[in-house]
Amino acid sequence: MKILFRNGLLFDGTTLSCEKTDILTEDGIISRIGKGIDDEGANEVYNLSGLILSPGFIDLHCHLRDPGQEWREDLLSGSRAGAAGGFSTLVCMPNTDPPVDNAALIRYLLEKGEECEGSRILPSGCLSRERAGKTLAEMGKMAIAGAVIFTDDGSPVSDTNLLRLALLYSSRLGVRVMEHPEDRSLTSGAQVNDGICSTFSGLKGWPSSAEASDIFRGVSLSMDTGVPIHFTHVSAKESINAVRIAKASDCKVTCDVTPHHLCLDESMVIGSGYDGVFKVTPPLRSASDTDALWEGIRDGTVDAIATDHAPYHLDEKDLPFQESSFGIASLECAVAAVLDEWKRRKEPCPLERLLSLFTSGPARLLPEKWRTLGLIAAGSPADLTVIDPAFEQTVDVSKWKSKARLTPWNGRTLRGWPVMTVVRGKIAYSLIDRVSGGK
Amino acid sequence: MEWKHRHVLDLDTWERPDLQHILEQARSMDELLDRPIKKVPALRGKLVVNLFFEASTRTRVSFELAEKFLSADVVNWSASGSSTGKGETLRDTAWTLEAMGADAVVIRHGAVGAADYLARKLKKSVVFNGGDGAHSHPTQALLDLYTAWKKIGPLEGKKVAMIGDVLHSRVARSDIIAFSKMGSSVVLSGPATLMPRSVEALGATYDENPRSAVRDADIIYLLRIQKERQDEGMFPSLDEYHQLFGFDAALLKHARPDALVMHPGPINRGVEIASDVADGSQSMILGQVRSGVAIRMALLFVYLGGVRQ
Repeated sequence: MKILFRNGLLFDGTTLSCEKTDILTEDGIISRIGKGIDDEGANEVYNLSGLILSPGFIDLHCHLRDPGQEWREDLLSGSRAGAAGGFSTLVCMPNTDPPVDNAALIRYLLEKGEECEGSRILPSGCLSRERAGKTLAEMGKMAIAGAVIFTDDGSPVSDTNLLRLALLYSSRLGVRVMEHPEDRSLTSGAQVNDGICSTFSGLKGWPSSAEASDIFRGVSLSMDTGVPIHFTHVSAKESINAVRIAKASDCKVTCDVTPHHLCLDESMVIGSGYDGVFKVTPPLRSASDTDALWEGIRDGTVDAIATDHAPYHLDEKDLPFQESSFGIASLECAVAAVLDEWKRRKEPCPLERLLSLFTSGPARLLPEKWRTLGLIAAGSPADLTVIDPAFEQTVDVSKWKSKARLTPWNGRTLRGWPVMTVVRGKIAYSLIDRVSGGK
Repeated sequence: MEWKHRHVLDLDTWERPDLQHILEQARSMDELLDRPIKKVPALRGKLVVNLFFEASTRTRVSFELAEKFLSADVVNWSASGSSTGKGETLRDTAWTLEAMGADAVVIRHGAVGAADYLARKLKKSVVFNGGDGAHSHPTQALLDLYTAWKKIGPLEGKKVAMIGDVLHSRVARSDIIAFSKMGSSVVLSGPATLMPRSVEALGATYDENPRSAVRDADIIYLLRIQKERQDEGMFPSLDEYHQLFGFDAALLKHARPDALVMHPGPINRGVEIASDVADGSQSMILGQVRSGVAIRMALLFVYLGGVRQ
């Protein structure tokens, strides 16, 4: 199977070229990159004139609810949704039922993922057994089976000694530890940002310090052990500052931010009349926190944008705010939401930096064998995402491939969309018509 | 006047003329309460459902009296627990009530956002928020405004000192917003652990010293202190609270000589308020109860009485 993509503006994972480039993929591998590649022998040809041809986007953090919570999402629906959102790779979180804390479940996810027609599925494994935060999970066996990240996401690793042991133990496995930064003693019963939103709503405030203090703790452990640590869904100014300071001291710390924390803030919780669709952990923060995240993107503090797509059944989400579940579903509009916000903010960073946070940025955080997913090079996997920066489309959650039926962006018209997703050399999603082929 | 609000959820988007209009309507209703026969036919044929998910005596009875004095048909819908627990969801309850033809629903619910949620689900019925979690209690704020206004006239330039657990109080949130909109200045006092983070955003200031907070105040508004907040470690003991922040005759001396003492009830004697001031001549606590009926009659009349388009 050969597919020829013609006239795309090539983003190779680092640099966005303004010259038209062709790419030929052959049996799931990028075989040629160049100009004027002959379409002889290509089964399909696509003209990508005016479109950006990028390495496939990687979502480092999403909840596919499989196994055990399939009424919310499963690997098939999640994988299709991911492809429709422009992601060729999804790293699914292990806080399922049962939690993914053993090699058998890693293998289950990889095998079932192979059958999915959308995004490539890479599983993460729990850091602790039963995700209970007490003792180490069998990280070695999971690493061999194919786990790409270790995390107790959904919960922090509150036991500092356990987190230290996990860093030391995982250091030789080539799999990074991802911490969900939260000091639970500060967030018990909390619902919204501790600030304007908690003040007006009377809901218990979730202070930024709950996140920043856990990051400071993790940074100390990383410096102590020399082992890298990754902080996910960093949402507050203080947290970004903590990561920035740690990076300046050569600490091997990395972080990701979510589309919702980049695009939405706590004023929308109030403005919506406390609509549960805006309820999420960590909570939507102040406008100045949102600005700080964009500054973190601009100056290189942020390493990746990850969705934290957290789908729920309508009945778990469509409730009075205080009773609604925590989580925002965004997989199918996350990239568009970020591109739209970037434009709305008058392009606070070069486009190539933004694109790198979906590609080479997250790829660098994965085990060695997957790092080529974040670049376009001859011989690397044919995982590609095509972006149309000018395309406008209105979000219609009722048509989503995800099982989620609520999203804060529903009804919003966004500018800048992924229009094609290629996974292992197959078209997993496309709004672009094929120009020729079929041989 | 043209009335632009569809429901009474909170007072965040109300403006001073809106508040003033309700106060004036309440004065007419107040006069009715002095008549030997209090009932008027203003809402005859209108169905009002009182939907109380949380224990409440005074607010429920006050609404019910107001509804009955205006001759509405009243249904007390018994509801308990959260809408996620056993039984039907609030969404289904909402649709059921509308199918039965409710013209208005009064809701008291433990979850913040419950009244807003109900309003989003109902296409026709008017929603009156009787208190949602720690968020809002607009009818309480209106009755407090009315009580003060009736007694001392325009509230512009008046100083309100509010002492107690602001953090967990829907009454405090609504009253701060309401008094500020009327042009009063609101000073909060109490332990810093019982204050919201951004009191300035609500339009108030914070003074940890109750004596200076009360100095020259026209209105002293006391908030209920719940024992469970001590259990949660928000302050060391009720006894210490009373010693530091409890309102008594000695503290009252710092206020203006004719200052009003208010409390939403039920009061904890010997905790946030000493009996000498609770029962003293400046106490408005029972006046507030009477105002509650008048203000709720005014609201029901404005929303259901045909004045509105």
